[in-house]
Amino acid sequence: MTLLTHPRRTAAVSKEPAKRAVDRRRGGALRKQLTAWLFLVPTLIVFGLFAWWPIVRSLLMSFQKTNLVEPATWVGLDNFRALFDDPLLSTAVGNTLFFVGLGLLIGFPAPLILAAVMSTVRRGAGVYRFLVYLPVVIPPVVAILLWKWFYDPGSGLFNSALGTIGLGPYTWLESSDSAMLSLVLEATWAGMGGAVLIYLAAMVGIPGELYEAAEVDGAGIWRRIWHIMLPQLRSVIGLLLLVQLISTVQVFTEPYVFTGGGPENSTLTVLLLIFRYAFQDGQYGEAAALSFLMVLALALLSAVYLRATRSWSKT
Amino acid sequence: MSPITRRAAVLGCVAVTVALSGCAAVTPSKSGANGDVVLRVQGMPPATDKPGLALFKKQVSDFEKANPGIKVQGSTTVFDPLTFSAKLAGGSVEDVIKVPLTEPQRLIQQKQVQPITGQLKAWDHFKEFNPQVLKPLSDSAGDVYGVPQNPYAQGLVYNRELFEKAGLDPDKPPTTWDEVRAAAKAISEKTGKAGFVQESKENQGGWQLTMLSYAFGGDLQTQQGGKYTATFTGEATQKALGLLKDMRWKDDSLGKNLLNNQNDVIKNFAAGQVGMFMGSPGTYRLAKMQFSMENTDAFGVAPLPQAGGNATLTGGDIYMVPKSADTQRAAAAVKWLTFAYAQPQYSTDAAAQQAKALSADPKSAVGVPTLPVFDAARQAQINAAIKPYVNVKLDHFKPYIDGLSKLDLKPEPPYQAQQLYTALDTVVQAVLTKRDADIPSLLAAAEKDVNAKLAAAQK
Repeated sequence: MTLLTHPRRTAAVSKEPAKRAVDRRRGGALRKQLTAWLFLVPTLIVFGLFAWWPIVRSLLMSFQKTNLVEPATWVGLDNFRALFDDPLLSTAVGNTLFFVGLGLLIGFPAPLILAAVMSTVRRGAGVYRFLVYLPVVIPPVVAILLWKWFYDPGSGLFNSALGTIGLGPYTWLESSDSAMLSLVLEATWAGMGGAVLIYLAAMVGIPGELYEAAEVDGAGIWRRIWHIMLPQLRSVIGLLLLVQLISTVQVFTEPYVFTGGGPENSTLTVLLLIFRYAFQDGQYGEAAALSFLMVLALALLSAVYLRATRSWSKT
Repeated sequence: MSPITRRAAVLGCVAVTVALSGCAAVTPSKSGANGDVVLRVQGMPPATDKPGLALFKKQVSDFEKANPGIKVQGSTTVFDPLTFSAKLAGGSVEDVIKVPLTEPQRLIQQKQVQPITGQLKAWDHFKEFNPQVLKPLSDSAGDVYGVPQNPYAQGLVYNRELFEKAGLDPDKPPTTWDEVRAAAKAISEKTGKAGFVQESKENQGGWQLTMLSYAFGGDLQTQQGGKYTATFTGEATQKALGLLKDMRWKDDSLGKNLLNNQNDVIKNFAAGQVGMFMGSPGTYRLAKMQFSMENTDAFGVAPLPQAGGNATLTGGDIYMVPKSADTQRAAAAVKWLTFAYAQPQYSTDAAAQQAKALSADPKSAVGVPTLPVFDAARQAQINAAIKPYVNVKLDHFKPYIDGLSKLDLKPEPPYQAQQLYTALDTVVQAVLTKRDADIPSLLAAAEKDVNAKLAAAQK
């Protein structure tokens, strides 16, 4: 009996502290969770108020007609229909893709080449890094106004400099053929510093033995770049490519300050068109609808890109 | 509660309080401590304009004495179309806004401002308002939405010094567009500066093409059966653009910078780089006060040259009451508008006091001619009253004053003018930057695009 009852009693007696331990553990977890939630509250409020709620509102607005004062009315897909009826939409999309393309052609390889050259410099590397990064610390609008003077067809720096060797004068921003290229040149100059530093940092991480071994095997500079440096930098290149794609699709400041979208809408980008809808024409519904389409396009672009490069980055 | 939890809770509460108090800070107070109506008004001069600010403060104090229960809070904020709608939706826009004449029709059509006719009619001299000045501030039903200040008509601003250097008589500015073309050619050839500059971006290209079309006898919008349509392809607009094309490609007299907004043009004019541009006498203030024009004696202004239209476009500052003001504040706002803007422009004493206060600052510009807000006789009395304080060279405005009465004053296109201007900007840019620009087909394409938008908006 004793033997039989004892363990039971023991069990009954020992259940209490175990339950208390579980409760304590649960209470502890709850408290921990509460702590975590309380720490999250400020971030949630800020994100909720200034990011998520505006996103939801703008999505709703893309199906509404509103002047932001009187109650909005639901108009179904009317805003989207009006967008697709606007001939400026295809112009803006075409121009944006052109900017992205020129950016990839000029703006994307430039920092990589510069970083490769700078990585071979032994003396005064700090000075070069400082000089390359300098444009990044200049406020964008100030940089653009400075370049506006560079591009001035009469007394600008570029035409004066080119004039001394018998070239030009060129119209730069004043011609629909060269305006977009002029914008890309400035954007490349202004944004290159960050990418150069990232590439330089990544290049430091490439083991020196790889280069030495290749050199011993008789590989020249191009083969060393092609077979060692570029493959080693692959993930960084991939990341910067995605970042550049997303940022160039959203180009706004350059066309807005340089040209206002002209001449003849040749620098009218999608974001500038959204801006015009909202703040020039007061068509908030159409502006929201186009923003929504742009987000969709960017999400799609990122997804395709990540899928395409998944296997690449694994290898 | 453990110390960490307690601390986190305190942190969370502080964050929430800060966030909410931040929200409260941007929401304006609507009534004062004693239940007074607090009226927030734009139009207060900045601290750098000492005489203007002192005058404004005196007006506020006089107004508050005359209207117990209303407290006026001045704001130096200027109307910004980019932020206006968002501020209006957030309820943080002032109860009185000051907008340029390019805006009222858009604000009226978007129902972002409220009519003030009923209350304004109670003012003794309402019927004496110049109907031409009130027209651009009224809707199609005749309701008035604002009080004008310093209305003007567009003219031709010119640099008298460059005229002399080019062998032209600065006291006989061009009166026709053929003369403008010849003068521009002479200036650019003999001085190397831009003879004439045409604005071309941020909708100002379309705006200036509108006034140019008026001078050529055209109109850019018509109303049929209650619906508005754009009419860009008329002969007048084609001729106006043809003139610009010839000046650009045959004479090369429009300067090297072809993408300009109004500020670019006035800035370059103040620096002595521009011979002529289409502008108002009021650009004198901008050139002198904002762009530090040193040789203000070189500033001259003439009526808009003509080519068969005998007309020009009007402009000015307008004070309006936004939709966000409730009945009580809207009523107080109209009282302020009458007191601060309508009455001083009517009363010779008030006008003289204002002119005296402003002339204390050598940087001010007193006596820049305006269109009569009331009838011509009243304007003559006002001009006589402020004469001792005038500090601009009235002789240089004489061609403008003398010639203006012969012109028909036309408002901007009444329906969605900004849409028209956006489309016309592109046409102006094409003419200025492409030698082979085909004007009729450019105008036809722009007209088609705009009419599709106007039709959709008027459904």
